[in-house]
Amino acid sequence: MRRILGTVLALALAVAGPAFPAPAPGDPEPAGAPASLLRRLELAASGVSTLASDFVQEKHLGIFKTVVTSRGRFHYQKPDRLRWELREPFASGFALSGSRGRRWHQRTGRTESFDIRQDPIMKAVSDQIFAWANADFAGLGREYRIRILSENPVSLRLEPLSAAMAASLDHLRITFSPDGRFVRAVEFHEKDGDFTRIRFVDTVVNPPLGPDLFR
Amino acid sequence: MTPVPSFPLFTRLYRFFSGRRLTLYAATALLIALGGAALRNIELREDIESMLPDDTSDVARDFRLLQSAPFTRKIVITLTGGPRTEPAELLATADRLAKALPSPDIVSVATGPADPGGGFLPALARSLPGLVTPGDMTTLEAWSEEGNVGSRLRDSYEKLLSPEGWALKGAVRADPLSFHTLALEKMGTLNLIPNMRLLEGHFVSADRKSALVIADTPVPITDSKGAGRLLDHIARQTAASVPPGIKASLVCGHRYALANAEGIRRDLYVILSLASLAVLSIYLFYLRSLSAICVFLVPGAALVIASGVIATVSKNVFAITLGFGGVLLGIADEYAMHVYFSCRKGGDRLAEVIGEISRPVLFGGMATLASFAVMLVSSLPGQRQLAVYTMTGILASLVLSLVVLPHVIRPARVPGPPAQAAAGLRLPPPRRWVVAVWLLLLAACLWQSTKIRFNGDLRSLSLVPPELREAERELSETWGDVRGKAILFSGGKDLDDALAANDRLFRLLSGRIPEGQIVSLAPILPSRETQIASLRRWSEFWRGGRAARLAASLQREGNSLGFSGNAFAPFLASLEEAPDVRTADDLRAEGLGEMIDSLILRAPGSVQVMTLVPDTPEGIAALARDLGSLPGVRLVSPSRFGDNLGMTIRKDFTSYLLLTSLMVLALVVSAFRRPKKILLALVPVVTGLTAMLGIMGMLGIDFNQFNIVATILIIGLCVDYGIFMVCKVTEGSDHDADRAILVSGLTTLAGFGSLVLARHPAMHSIGLTVLLGIGFGITAALLVVPALHGRGSA
Repeated sequence: MRRILGTVLALALAVAGPAFPAPAPGDPEPAGAPASLLRRLELAASGVSTLASDFVQEKHLGIFKTVVTSRGRFHYQKPDRLRWELREPFASGFALSGSRGRRWHQRTGRTESFDIRQDPIMKAVSDQIFAWANADFAGLGREYRIRILSENPVSLRLEPLSAAMAASLDHLRITFSPDGRFVRAVEFHEKDGDFTRIRFVDTVVNPPLGPDLFR
Repeated sequence: MTPVPSFPLFTRLYRFFSGRRLTLYAATALLIALGGAALRNIELREDIESMLPDDTSDVARDFRLLQSAPFTRKIVITLTGGPRTEPAELLATADRLAKALPSPDIVSVATGPADPGGGFLPALARSLPGLVTPGDMTTLEAWSEEGNVGSRLRDSYEKLLSPEGWALKGAVRADPLSFHTLALEKMGTLNLIPNMRLLEGHFVSADRKSALVIADTPVPITDSKGAGRLLDHIARQTAASVPPGIKASLVCGHRYALANAEGIRRDLYVILSLASLAVLSIYLFYLRSLSAICVFLVPGAALVIASGVIATVSKNVFAITLGFGGVLLGIADEYAMHVYFSCRKGGDRLAEVIGEISRPVLFGGMATLASFAVMLVSSLPGQRQLAVYTMTGILASLVLSLVVLPHVIRPARVPGPPAQAAAGLRLPPPRRWVVAVWLLLLAACLWQSTKIRFNGDLRSLSLVPPELREAERELSETWGDVRGKAILFSGGKDLDDALAANDRLFRLLSGRIPEGQIVSLAPILPSRETQIASLRRWSEFWRGGRAARLAASLQREGNSLGFSGNAFAPFLASLEEAPDVRTADDLRAEGLGEMIDSLILRAPGSVQVMTLVPDTPEGIAALARDLGSLPGVRLVSPSRFGDNLGMTIRKDFTSYLLLTSLMVLALVVSAFRRPKKILLALVPVVTGLTAMLGIMGMLGIDFNQFNIVATILIIGLCVDYGIFMVCKVTEGSDHDADRAILVSGLTTLAGFGSLVLARHPAMHSIGLTVLLGIGFGITAALLVVPALHGRGSA
C-alpha cells in the first residue's frame, strides 16, 4: 500500500508542476529566540554522541476516554541512527540507520524494511527526532517560529510556519535537561486543545551502543 | 514532304516580339523582380504538418489527437549515476538542473510529484462513496463484520500510539476502519511510468541509479527553429549543472524535429553541391555555347516567379514546398532545352521552328501540369501547396521557353553533328533485342511490383541519429515501456459526457487487460451518472440497520480500546449523510489537479478523456473489434496509426495514378489521335513506373508519401519524353528531341537522382524512386520508342 501511495503521489509524473522548493534562504536566524541561548544548546548537544532513554507517551486526546499512556525505549547515535521502541501497551517500533530502517509489530508479527527516502511519513518523523536530539535549530528554524518559554531549564515553543502544518498543529513545546544536553519532554499541541506529551526519563548520555540496536 | 504540325501562335508571337525585344526583356525582368520582391516577407513553416492530412479523415483526426495529448509535449531528462554515485548526489544534480532550466521556452520543471497536502487521506476517504463498485461493497461488507471491526480498529489505535500517529487523529476519527485504502488502490490506475519510484520526493528508477527531470515547454514539437533554441538551452544548462560521472540523456519530440531538419540541411548542402557540379558538367559537355547560359537561367527564373506567386497567395508557406518544389522545378529545363536545340538548328526558319517545337513542348508541359494538378485534391496541405507551386513554375517555364528564350539563342553557324552521334548513340542497338529485353523487363517488374508495400509509419521517414536511438533504448530500459502505449480517447460535449464514455470503456477494458496495465481516470473520477449509482449503492448498503450495527460494533470495540463515545462521530455521520458527487475541481483542490489534467484534453465544444493501454498488435486488434459497441470512444495506437496512414497513402496513390493516367491519356489522345502513336507516347511512362514499382518490390523497399510526389514527377517527365520522341519519329520533325531528352534527363538524374545519396530516409527514397523511374523512362524513350516504331525511326 505504501508503494501504491508513493507511486500515486508520483502520478503527477509527466505533468507535475515545479516540485522543488523555492531556493532556501540559507540558515535563517530562528525568529523570536535569542541566538546566544540556542547556540548554547547546540554547543551542549554537540558533546552528545549517543543517548539511551526510556520514554513515557501521554495522549491527551478527546477521542480517548482517559489519558492513554504508553511506554518505551529510545536510543540515538549521532549522526543518523535511531531506535524507537514501544513496549507498552503493545510492542512495536522501528530502527533506523542512515536512510534504511526496519519496523516491527509484535501482534501482527510483521517486520518490514523501509527507506526514509521513499517513505515521507517516516522521514518526517525521524527528521523531527534527529532535530531535537541534535539541537538543530537551523533546521527547526526553517519550519517553526521559535520562542523561549523559560531559560532554566530551557523550554521552547515552536509554532509552525507553513499553513499546511499549522492547520493541525498549533505548537510544539520542547523542554531540555538542566544542562541542555538532551530533550526532557516534547509536547504536540493541536488546534482543538488536544495534545501528546512524551517525557524522556532515566536518560543516559553517551552510553556505549552496539550497532545491532539500529538494525 | 508532309509539313510538320505546328502551333502558328508561337510563330506569330516570335515575329511580334522580334521588333520589340527590349520591351519583352523588360517585361520578363519585371516579372522576375516582382517574384523576388514578394519573397521578402515570406514566413516559412518548417513543421511536419504539411505532410499530414488536414481533412476530416480518421488519420487526420488521430494525428491531431496524438499531437494534442499533454504528455507528448514533455521533455524527459534521465540522469544516470556511475557505480560510485551516491543517490544524494544524483538527486542534488536533478534539483540543480531543475533550478537552472526554467526560461521562456521551459515553463515548468519537475523532479518529483507535487505535494498533495496533509488532507490527502481524509479527502480520499470522503471520495469513497462515489467510487465504490459492487466488488468494493463485498470488501466493505467483510471489513464491517463484527470480527474484522475489532482488528481494523486496533490497527488504527496502534497507529495513533506510534510516532507516525502524531498527526493521524483526524484521519482515524473520519475513517477508523481505514476504508480509504480502497480508494488508494484505485489511484494505482493513474501511474504513467511503470518503473518509477519515489526517493526523497524525487522520481527515481526502480534500481535508484537514475533520476528523472520532466519539463514542460510551449514550443511545438513541429517547430524546428524553436526546437533548436530549446535544445541549445537544455544542453548549456545540463553542461553547467551535471557533474562528470553523471550522464544526462534527453528524449523529447523536439530532438527528432531538429535531427531531421539538420539532417535535411546537411544532405541538401552536400547533394546540391554535387548535383550542381554534375549539371554544370553536363551543360558544358553537351551545350558548349554562351547562349546555353539562358537555358540554365529559365528554371531559375521560373523558381523565383513561382515562389513569389506562392508567397502572395498562401498564408503559410511550408519550407518543404520551397525546398522540394525548388528541386522539382529543376526539371523545368527540359522545355528550354528542347527549344534551345531546335533554335540552334533553326537557321533562317527560326519563327517556323518555334511554331513546330511549341507543339510537343506544350503537350509535354500540359501533361506535366495535369500530373501535378491531381495533387490539388490531396488531403495533405503540403502536397496541395506543392501542386500550385510546381504548376506555376512549369507555366512560367513554358512561357519563358517558348516566348522569351528563342530571342536570346543565336542559331549555330554550322549545322551540328547528327543528333544521335552527338548524343553518343552512334549505332542503334538491334531493334528486336531492344524490344525483347524491354518486354522481359516489363514482365519481371510487373510481377515484382505486386510485392510492394505501402508504409505509413512516419518514423520510417524520420532520421533518428544513433545517439537518439540509444537515448530511447535507455529510457525504455530504465523507466519501462513508457511510449509503447495506445491511447483511447473517450469524447463528449463536456467533461461529464466524456467521463461517462470513459466509464463504459473502463468496464470493457477491465475484463480484457490485466490490472495494472491500464492507465485511466475512471476509478478515481467517474462520471456524475456513475457516481450517483455508487452513492446509491453506498447509501443502500448502510441502510437496513447495517450502519447502526457497525456503530454498535465500533462503540463496543472502541470502548475496550479506550476510545470515547463520540470518537468516531465524523465517520458515523458520513454513513448517514448523502455525499455530494465529486468533481474534477474537488480533486484539484485536494492536490490531484496535475494528475487528472494530464489525461483530460479540452477543445472548444468538446472534451476528451484519455485512457492508456499496452500497444500490442493482437491486443489492439481485439480491442478495436470490441470498441464497435462503444460510441464516443476512439482508439489511437501508434502502430495502427502507421497502418491507417499506409492505407491513406495507398488510396491516394491509386486515385492519383488513375486520375493522372486519365488526364495524360486524354492529352496524348488529343495530341496524336492514332492508336499506334498514342501507345508509343506512353511507352516511357509505363516503363518508368513499372520498373520503379517492380525494383522497389523486389528489393523490399516500402512505398511512402514522398514516393507519391516522385511518381507524379516521373509520370509528368516520362510523358514529355514520349511526346517528344513520337513527334520526332512519326511526324518527321527534325528537331534534336533525343538530344534534348538525354541532356534534360541527365540533368534530372544528376539533380534528383543524387538524392539517393542522402542519409535522410525521406530524401533517399525520393532519389531512389526518381533514379529508377526517370532512368528507365529515358532509356525507353531513346531506345524502345524508335525500336517499336520501326521503319519510321529517325
